[in-house]
Amino acid sequence: MGDLKASGKAIGMSEKLFNKILVANRSEIAVRVMNGCRVLGIPSVAVYSEADVNSKHRLFADESVLIGPPPPSESYLDIGKIIEAARQTGCDAIHPGYGFLAENPALPRRCVQENITFIGPGAEAMELMGNKIVSRKKMEHAGVPIIPGMKSGETSLAAFKAAAEEAGYPVLIKAAAGGGGKGMRVVHAPNELPASLEAARREAKNAFGDETVYLEKYIPDPRHIEFQIIADNYGNCVHLFERECSIQRRHQKIIEETPSVALNDELRYRMGEDAIRVAQTAGYTNAGTVEFLFGENGSYYFLEMNTRLQVEHPITEFVTGVDLVVEQIRIAAGLPLSDYLKHLTQRGHAIECRIYAEDGENNFFPSTGKIIHYSEPVGPGIRVDSGVEAGSEITIDYDPIMAKLIVHAPDRPMAISKMIDALHNYKLLGVKTSRRFMVDVLQHPEFAAGHTYTSFIEKHMSDRITDQATYKEMAVAVASVAAMSTSTASVLFNEGTTSAPSPWQTLGSWEIGDSIHA
Amino acid sequence: MPKHEFLFNGESVESSVENHGKTFRVTVGERQFEVCPLGNNLFATTVNGRKRTVAAAFNKGVFYLDIDAVQLELQEPGEDQFSGAAGDHSAEKDKIYAPMPGKIVKILVAVGEEVSEKQPMVIVEAMKMENPVNAAAGGRVKAVNFKPGDQVDTDSPIIELEIPQ
Repeated sequence: MGDLKASGKAIGMSEKLFNKILVANRSEIAVRVMNGCRVLGIPSVAVYSEADVNSKHRLFADESVLIGPPPPSESYLDIGKIIEAARQTGCDAIHPGYGFLAENPALPRRCVQENITFIGPGAEAMELMGNKIVSRKKMEHAGVPIIPGMKSGETSLAAFKAAAEEAGYPVLIKAAAGGGGKGMRVVHAPNELPASLEAARREAKNAFGDETVYLEKYIPDPRHIEFQIIADNYGNCVHLFERECSIQRRHQKIIEETPSVALNDELRYRMGEDAIRVAQTAGYTNAGTVEFLFGENGSYYFLEMNTRLQVEHPITEFVTGVDLVVEQIRIAAGLPLSDYLKHLTQRGHAIECRIYAEDGENNFFPSTGKIIHYSEPVGPGIRVDSGVEAGSEITIDYDPIMAKLIVHAPDRPMAISKMIDALHNYKLLGVKTSRRFMVDVLQHPEFAAGHTYTSFIEKHMSDRITDQATYKEMAVAVASVAAMSTSTASVLFNEGTTSAPSPWQTLGSWEIGDSIHA
Repeated sequence: MPKHEFLFNGESVESSVENHGKTFRVTVGERQFEVCPLGNNLFATTVNGRKRTVAAAFNKGVFYLDIDAVQLELQEPGEDQFSGAAGDHSAEKDKIYAPMPGKIVKILVAVGEEVSEKQPMVIVEAMKMENPVNAAAGGRVKAVNFKPGDQVDTDSPIIELEIPQ
């Protein structure tokens, strides 16, 4: 035993990087960060709102501090309360997760004043990348490709003609105040330009009350491809390859994978080098993600940099074997990049499916309620990052992401079939999800062929329906047996129970009453 | 032989169950299923030669099921079959309820106004999204019980209609 303990120390326990880390977030990402803290032997502190008294992240942490009422502005977004909680519990570092304060430079700035380490980039780099226009200009100067187009507010037809010639047809006219496709026009040839410009202005004026439009190169069938980078405080920066996140609904990713079928070694090398150039130009430290729009014939354009850990970071962890949270903590503690980060390869293929509280059969309409059954798939190469369990209440207060299902397999076809099986065996009742929708995406021949463009769902999934009647008899058969079984009967009698589940109980067992604990 | 009845989208479906030790043989219409309880709300059943794991749990008059990532609901028939499920106000066509708790963004109609079926009545914001709620039947607006900015739950009618008989 003594020997085992000693060897444990030798692989990292001896150098405790921080006394205690406060995780300024909730749900699945808070739990994920606390896992990284555990690996390094560092105690973690959760903050929670009154809505999260029984939440998994609070009960998972070594300590927890109540920071206020449910509205985020009075709890998870209140920097003063976060700092106060860190002080009160003796934390010398704060990890922001993603969302909430993760990209607010006021938090790292305040941390510097308070002599607390912020586990993430410095405020300056965060601020620079937060300004999309300034950061794109700066990266263009550094030689990183950006979407060609107008850079000034010129309004004459001649200026638009010149800009279109320079960018090359087809071009896209976009409303400056824009969004939602309004005031947008694709122009394929010079003779279409005057009429399209007029129409786009009219539409923009009607939709946004502002007729200002600009022009940029139109990228048909784009993919969203991003690169994970990590940089230490001494100027060393590496990338951890790409993630393709083209499968999106409502401009929000739901399925991500790595490697991308669109990249070959040469493109991967060039984009990776450009991602590192972006990070170094910004003076970036810690983990971050450089997003590119990927067009035809291997063209790609810098979009923006996300100055935090990403929702989809687990697929990178699967193919590289790196624990990104652990590396973030090591870098924040002042260690140089670990040597193994400089010799990474991509091993196999990983896919992530996001499990949102939404109705995949009805326009992804948000779904709320109590989770009355929860069980996760297990097996080689299956990972679940979850912030919920049986008994969790999904309310309207917070982001609807409940969990992420991630699989790893030797190649893409095997990863796809493993994910389909994992989605079948991920069981969640009481709140609607898009699991069946994602199964249908994964089973689509165009997905198998790797034709994963950002228009995928709009193009291939808009006519899709699930014929529930196919399952009618099977559902009735199972419900008939369920109605007779003891555990279900006890649920009947426990109806309306509000007792809080403990994460230490077996998953999903809470609804079985004390009477049948044998 | 125990018999069961469930409602699937309002349609009554009956079954009979035979116990064979650890497994059950269930007859539903023309089809027969072997069902084996696995514990923790999970059941195994074979369909087209393939064994599937199905989750089933009961809450407030509704059986929730999960078969191959498809989520289904079966209602227990009974006297209160139409109001059994929490928040199910589908039988009350003269009242407009929020589909989920949220904040009223906009009331789109006024008292006295004639409205038609499927006309948007109110916009409720929940989970960072704006969700329009439509009238289930045509009629005249009798009462508007909330104003923009108010929080609503799923059991308080936001708008009440007078529906001609």
